[in-house]
Amino acid sequence: MKKPASRSLIALSTSALALPGIAEADAPPLTSSLSYKISNYQEDDLSREQVPFGELERYDIDVHQFQFVSPLGRDYALFIDANHENMSGASPWFSTAGSNGQPVINMSGASGIYDSRSEVSLGVRYYGARGNIGGAIGYSEENDYRAKYVSMSGSRNFNNDLTTLTVSLSHSDDSIFPSDAERFNRVRHENKQASSVAVSLSQVLNPVASFQTALSLTGQSGYLSDPYKLQDSRPDGKTQIAFSNSLRYFFIKADGALQSDYRYYRDDFGIRSHTLDLSWFQNVTRSFKIVPMLRYYSQSAADFYTNIDDFLKPLSESQSSDYRLSAFGAVSGGLSFVTDFGGWSATLTAERYVANEKYSAFTVAQPSPGLVQFTRLSLGVNYAF
Amino acid sequence: MSTNLRHAGFRAMGTYCEIQLYEASRISAKRLVRRLIDEVSRLESKYTRYRDDSFLSEINRSAGNQAGIKIDIETQKLFEHARSCYEQSDGLFDITAGVLRRVWDFSRRKIPDESELEGLLPLIGYEKLNWRDDTLLMPANMEIDFGGIVKEYAADTLATLARELGVRRGLINLGGDFAAIGTQPEDRPWPIGITHPEDSTKMMSHFHLSEGGLASSGDYERSFILEGKRYSHLLNPKTGWPCSGLRAVSVAANLCTVAGSFATIAMLKPEQDAIDWLTDSGLPFVFMDGAGQIGGPGLTDSSY
Repeated sequence: MKKPASRSLIALSTSALALPGIAEADAPPLTSSLSYKISNYQEDDLSREQVPFGELERYDIDVHQFQFVSPLGRDYALFIDANHENMSGASPWFSTAGSNGQPVINMSGASGIYDSRSEVSLGVRYYGARGNIGGAIGYSEENDYRAKYVSMSGSRNFNNDLTTLTVSLSHSDDSIFPSDAERFNRVRHENKQASSVAVSLSQVLNPVASFQTALSLTGQSGYLSDPYKLQDSRPDGKTQIAFSNSLRYFFIKADGALQSDYRYYRDDFGIRSHTLDLSWFQNVTRSFKIVPMLRYYSQSAADFYTNIDDFLKPLSESQSSDYRLSAFGAVSGGLSFVTDFGGWSATLTAERYVANEKYSAFTVAQPSPGLVQFTRLSLGVNYAF
Repeated sequence: MSTNLRHAGFRAMGTYCEIQLYEASRISAKRLVRRLIDEVSRLESKYTRYRDDSFLSEINRSAGNQAGIKIDIETQKLFEHARSCYEQSDGLFDITAGVLRRVWDFSRRKIPDESELEGLLPLIGYEKLNWRDDTLLMPANMEIDFGGIVKEYAADTLATLARELGVRRGLINLGGDFAAIGTQPEDRPWPIGITHPEDSTKMMSHFHLSEGGLASSGDYERSFILEGKRYSHLLNPKTGWPCSGLRAVSVAANLCTVAGSFATIAMLKPEQDAIDWLTDSGLPFVFMDGAGQIGGPGLTDSSY
């Protein structure tokens, strides 16, 4: 039988654990690091039943991500991110009723789409004794889309650094100028803006468990439709709210940690969604870790979703056959291997995602014929120096 | 894979220090050691009593100043830990007791007059420090000494920093204040020998440290015997006279800072009180009492 800790042991441990060199206080990254990650995202081809004519191939995207992080003096850190994506494939153009009355998809671009996107962002953060504050600006460009964004966030620690309150603000301003606008009678030039505010609270519950809860509110306005769809007309404003909770628990005997996340989302398009995420971080050796991951997602349909486009409907009335606005459920599973040596670390991840209206937790009045299945592989390398 | 164990010895905080790390890459081991030595140098130059440009000297120069001195968070937390030590020792461990060194000179074996001591006692007392938010107002002629706290804190800080830098196995030793980062391979603990107070070539005991810290306190280095009476360099802040309790004690705890506070307080308490208090804490410890007897639950092969 272990007797309870003495009053002196509790008092002296409490004041010692509050010392900044011992408590893992807010501090800029300790070293500079350079990282590179390549990912390949590949959507499964559609079937002839779904697409009676034309292309079956969907999106294939290669993503290259670079990040440089460096401490600046004792209290600041600099973050530089650069991404480049190459995408090719085709996306659903419009939906019609097939011979049996079921919806079928007509894909865009007989020769498919080829596009690339580049993005850079620059951020600076200050780390004080009780928290940190920082901001970033970013710019992204592709041949038919430009986005500029700015973000700021600050965290403050309370309660001997066991509680952290974080407030984040961001704003983006995007321009859309669809290609071949004249030929396909698409909009020439449109804009959209988004602003978001988020508040999160994280709490260390005990030495092996921590909890985080967050609420975010986003307002979008401007052109929110898909200019490449034949018949796509969405409201010019959208308000989104998301509530997330995360619990992390370290199991000492198993030398592994469980992270579970639940997120509830709703917007005034009528979409509500649940996301449940489970990850297990298993230490195999001191420098090798395996991380299996499982996720369930389900959403309800937008109020104006239709799985067969109604070309007689005036454009002033909202309607869209975008599969991302339909009711469905999705299950994804993944596995990561993480290893490190000296200042190097590498992460290899494989993920498989399957969406299906049968997995939906919500009523599916009109199933979409265009739900995606995809596989994603990524390899990341980080060097700290 | 014991070839991956890298050693680095250096002098800091007025003592011999050693860092041992299991690190496959020699280059990253060197970089890590350099980073850890930078951190110990930072703490030394901030809190040393021996340099006029240290922050501690600046604090001590502010004694009597009406405007006080603004104290940064790290130092505030050290003061808070010092207050905790003061409370848990019923006033025996007092960071304001350093003024007694003005009249006690252990190298010259001189015993001060009672009147000299009485003149200093009003300058001692943690509760005499006044705080206005983060500003410390220290009465004139008072003095702060973080001995018994800063070196232990530095050992823990280096262990935390090493962990954040990715070290999984290592041992920090700052002149006998130890902080472990994990165990050695195959879960072997770090064996630590405790020097015999009367013969530095002999071992009094040894500990097996798997995690946390180990600290020792003793009067063997700076005490003297005059006319058959032993004068310990550990002084009772309430009387100004040396304590006559244990000769030496080593304690293991979750942190070196905690172990160091227990060891220092135990040395200041009367012998039996110290042993009872340490036993009550449940921590492994080993001691040598005034009669030269060695004891404690950490006596043989204790592990933490």
